[in-house]
Amino acid sequence: MRVPLEADVRAPARASDLPVAALGIAAVAAWLWAFLVTDRVAILGALLAVAAIAFVLAQRSAVAKRYGLALARRPRMGVAFAAIGVLAVAAALHDQPYPLLMLCTVMLFVVACIGLDIQTGYCGIVNFAGAAFFGTGAYTAAVLAKQGVPHLFGIVCGAIVAALVGSLLILPVLRTRGYYAALVTIAFGILFSTFLEVNNALGGPQGLKLPGIDLFGWRFNRDVDIGGASASFYVNYVVLALALALGAYVFSRRVDRSWIGLTFDAVRLDETAAAAFGIGIARAKIIAFTLGNFLCGLAGAVYAMMQGFIAPNNFTFGESLILVSILILGGIGNPLGIVPAALIIIVVPQKLQFIQEYRFLLYGILVVLILLFRPEGLLPRPVRRYFPAPR
Amino acid sequence: MDPGVLAQYAFNGLMLGVIYAMVAVGFTLFFGVLDVIQFAHGDVVMAGAFVALATYLALHGLGVAVPGLVVIVVACAAALAMALLGALIARYLVLPLRAAPAFNTLLITLMLGSILRELVRLFYPNGSNPQPFPRLLPTASVNLGNFTLRLDTTILLVVGLATIFVVNLVVRRTRLGLAIRAVAQDSETARVMGIDFQRIVLVTFAIGSALAGIAGVVYGLYYNEVNFDIGLLLGVIGFSAAVVGGLGSIYGAIIGGFLFAALQTIGSVALPVSSAYNNVFAFAVVIILMTWKPTGLIAEPTSERV
Amino acid sequence: MTQPRQSTASVVAPLLACHGLTMRFGGLLALDALDLSVASGEILGLIGPNGSGKTTFFNVLTGLYRPSAGRVEFGGRDIIGASPQQVCRAGIARTFQRSRLCLPLTVFDNVMIGNHLRLDHRVSFNVLRRGALRRQYDECVEAARSLAATFNPRLSSRLFEAAAALDMIDRRRVEICRALVNAPRLLLLDEPSAGMTRGETRELMDDILQIRAARGELTIVIIEHEMNVIERMTERCVVLNYGEKIAEGPFRVVASDPAVQEAYLGQAVAEA
Ligand SMILES: Nc1ncnc2c1ncn2[C@@H]1O[C@H](COP(=O)(O)OP(=O)(O)OP(=O)(O)O)[C@@H](O)[C@H]1O
Ligand SMILES: [Mg+2]
Repeated sequence: MRVPLEADVRAPARASDLPVAALGIAAVAAWLWAFLVTDRVAILGALLAVAAIAFVLAQRSAVAKRYGLALARRPRMGVAFAAIGVLAVAAALHDQPYPLLMLCTVMLFVVACIGLDIQTGYCGIVNFAGAAFFGTGAYTAAVLAKQGVPHLFGIVCGAIVAALVGSLLILPVLRTRGYYAALVTIAFGILFSTFLEVNNALGGPQGLKLPGIDLFGWRFNRDVDIGGASASFYVNYVVLALALALGAYVFSRRVDRSWIGLTFDAVRLDETAAAAFGIGIARAKIIAFTLGNFLCGLAGAVYAMMQGFIAPNNFTFGESLILVSILILGGIGNPLGIVPAALIIIVVPQKLQFIQEYRFLLYGILVVLILLFRPEGLLPRPVRRYFPAPR
Repeated sequence: MDPGVLAQYAFNGLMLGVIYAMVAVGFTLFFGVLDVIQFAHGDVVMAGAFVALATYLALHGLGVAVPGLVVIVVACAAALAMALLGALIARYLVLPLRAAPAFNTLLITLMLGSILRELVRLFYPNGSNPQPFPRLLPTASVNLGNFTLRLDTTILLVVGLATIFVVNLVVRRTRLGLAIRAVAQDSETARVMGIDFQRIVLVTFAIGSALAGIAGVVYGLYYNEVNFDIGLLLGVIGFSAAVVGGLGSIYGAIIGGFLFAALQTIGSVALPVSSAYNNVFAFAVVIILMTWKPTGLIAEPTSERV
Repeated sequence: MTQPRQSTASVVAPLLACHGLTMRFGGLLALDALDLSVASGEILGLIGPNGSGKTTFFNVLTGLYRPSAGRVEFGGRDIIGASPQQVCRAGIARTFQRSRLCLPLTVFDNVMIGNHLRLDHRVSFNVLRRGALRRQYDECVEAARSLAATFNPRLSSRLFEAAAALDMIDRRRVEICRALVNAPRLLLLDEPSAGMTRGETRELMDDILQIRAARGELTIVIIEHEMNVIERMTERCVVLNYGEKIAEGPFRVVASDPAVQEAYLGQAVAEA
C-alpha cells in the first residue's frame, strides 16, 4: 500500500477545520481521562476496544489521513495540541492523585523509551540495560538530594551520570556488534541491579527515600491552590513530565529528521557501506548511546523524586525488557508509537491488579506475538521527511 | 593457603566449569547451524532442572525409590523434555524469523527466556522461592586433609564430561554430525546436496537443549537447590564462554566454560570483598572479556566478507 | 607467465599506484604481489575468473581489508592502513558487487549517505539551526535531483520513495549516484552489470559514459565479467588469476593472450 505523500493531500487551511480538530483532541483527551480513571475491567476493555477500532478506522479513513498529514505539516501545532490535551486531562483529574501519578509515570517512561529508541531504533545499538540507566539517574538524584544539592541540579546530574556510566560501556559497545553488544548490555543490566542489592551504601535491597522536588522554592509535593480549588500535588509533576516528554519528542524528531538521523540509519543498516562513504561509525554510536542514556537518566531522576522511594527491584533486567517491549509494541524507530505502547504496558497492569503479578509473562508473550506477526509494531516507522511539506 | 582448601576450590571450579561448558556447547551448536544466539538457553537449563525436580516428586509420590533408577529416569525426563522444547523453539520462534533482522531473533529468544522464568515462578508450587533439590547420588566421601572428595560430585563431574564427549562424538563421527557440520559450513551448499536443512536445525537444537537439560540436573544435584532465575547467569556466562572460545567450535566452548569457572573461582578466593559480590564480579568479567576479545581468545581475527 | 605489456597510459605520475600488494586469508593468497597503476582520467578494466581477487583488490584499496604486504599510493599519498573513512576523504568512491543500498531509506537518503563528507553533522547545527539545515537540505535535494536526472529523469521524480520500491537497474543507478555525488577522483565499480539484462547493461554504461563526459576528470576502475562491456568501456585492462596479474593491455590484445584464455578455460573446465 502506498502511503500518500504529504504533498498529495491538501492540508486544511480553512477556519472551519479548527472546530473539527478541537473535537478530535477532545475525543482523545476524553478517552485518556476515562482510561486513567476507570477501575472496572469491563470499562477498561471497552476503552481498549474503542481505541483499537478507532485506530483501524483512522488508518482507512481519508479524513483522518487528511488531518494526520495536516498535523504532520505543522509539527508545532501537534505539540501544542498534545500539551493542551494532557493539561485538560490533568485538570479533569486534579483531585485524583492516583491517576495523575500514572499519567506522570507514563510520560516519564515515554522519555526513557525515546532515549532507547535513539539508540536501538535509530542507530541500531541494542541496549538491554535501559532500566540500569534509568536507575543510575534515580540513584544519583537520591544521593544528591540527600546531600542537600539543589534538586534541579541533582536531576540534571542524574542524566549526566547516566550518560557517563554509559561511557564506561561505550568501549564494549563500539567493539562488539549484534548479539555480542546485546550480551554486554544484558550483563551490565544484571550487574547493576545485583550490585544495588548487595551494596549497603546505597540502601541495599531496602532502597532509598527521597524528598519531593523543590524548584527554586516551589515545592512540588504540596497541593496546589488554583483559584480556590485545591489540586493534588501530582499536578506539578504532570507539568514537569509533560514538558520533558514533549521536549524529548521534539528533540528525537529533530535528530531523526536531520543528517544525524540519516547517519544513524546508515550505521544501523550497513556499517561497512557507511564507513566506505566516510561516516564515522564510532562517532555516530557514541552520540546515539550518550543521548539515549542521558534521556533514560533524566527520566529516572524525576521518577525517583516523584515516587519518593526507590529500590533495586525497580531497575532489574526484567524492567529493561519492559522498556524494550514498549519500543517493539509502539513500532521501533517511531517515537510517536511509544505513547500508546507506554499507556498500554504501564497502565493496564496497574488497573488490573490480578494481572500485575503476571505482567512479565504477559509482556513476554505479547512481544513474541508481535515479532512473529507484526514486527513493525503499532505505528510503523515512515520514511524520513526532513521538513514538513516538501515541494 | 592450605593445599587442601586450594584443592577444594579447584575441584569446585572444575564442577562449575563442566556446567558452564555444557551450556556453552549448546550456544556453539546453534550458532554453527543458524548463526543465531538462543538467548533463552540458560533458562532451558533452569527448565530442565525443574522438569527433573517435578519428575522426582512424581516418582516419589508413586513410591519408586530405587536410587540408581530414579536418577536415570529423572535425567532422561529432563533431557527429553528439553530436547522437545529446543526443537519447538527452533521450529516456531527461530526459523520463522530467519529473514528478519538479527535483532528480532535476539529479542524473541530473550523474551522466551523471560516467559520460561515467569512460568516457573508463577506456576511451579512456591516457585518464587528456591526449591530444594534432592540428593539422588551416593554421598560417601573421603577426607584428604582439608579436601573432601565426595562421591556424588565426582560422579557429576564424570557424567558431565561424558555427555559433552558424547555430543562431540556425535557431531564429529556420525552421519548426522556430518550433516550438522555441512550445514554449519555452508547451509546453501548443504541444501543443494540434498540435506534437509530444517530437520538438521531442529535436531541440532534438540541435541543442544537436551545437553542443557542434563546440565540443569547436574546443577540441581550439585547445589541441591534450584531457583527460577538461575538461567540468567548461566545463559550469560554460557554465551560468553562460547564467544571466548570462538563461536562455532565445540572445543572452544569447553575451554571457554572452564576459563570462566576458573576466573570466577579465583575471583571468589582472591577478591577481598564478600561473596555477595560473586555475581557482580562474574558479570564484570563478561563485560571486560567481551571488550578485550570481542571475537574470542582462540579464533584468529577474520575480516568480514564484503 | 607473459611479460607485462607496455602500458598505453600517459607518462605523467599515475593517480593510483600499487606495488607488491598482497592479501592473505589464512592459507589463501587472494592477492599475490600485485603491481598495478591507473592513470588519471583512464577507465581501467579489471577482469579475471571467479575468485581471482578482484573484489578483494577493491576491499584492500578502500581500507576494508588491511593487506598483508605492499604499498598503495593514491594521488601521491600512501593510503595503506588508512581507514575506509580516510580513503573516502582522499577521493575514492565505490559500488559493491552485491547491492548494499539501504532499502528502507529513500533514494534521496541513500544518495546523501554518499554525500556525508559535505554535510554538516554537528548535533547543535542539526537540532537547533533548522533554518540553516533547511538551506543545506534544499541545495542537496537540487544536487541529488540533477544527478539522478543525468541517469534517468524518471529516477529524479522518485527521489522520496523508498529504495526498496525500485527495480534492479534503478537501484544500481542509485548506488552509482551515491558513489558519484561527492565528486570522487576515482570511482570503483564492482560488476555494475550483475543481475541485469543486456539492454539494461547497455543503458547503464551509456549513463556512466555520459556522466563522465559531463564531469571531465573522472577515473574509473571497473570489474566486469561481461566482456563486451569491457571492450566498449575500457582502453586498457588488467587480468587477474589467483590474485596474480597475468596480463595487461587493450582488451583485444589481452583477450587473445594464451595465458588469459587458459585461465578462463580452466574455470570453464572446472565448472563443467
Ligand atoms: N573475508 C574473506 N575471508 C576469507 N577469504 C576471502 C575473503 N574475501 C575473499 N576471500 C577469498 O579470496 C578469494 C578472492 O575473492 P574475491 O571476492 O576477491 O574474488 P573475485 O575476483 O571478486 O570473484 P568474483 O568474480 O566471483 O566476484 C576467493 O577465494 C575468496 O574466497
Ligand atoms: Mg567479486
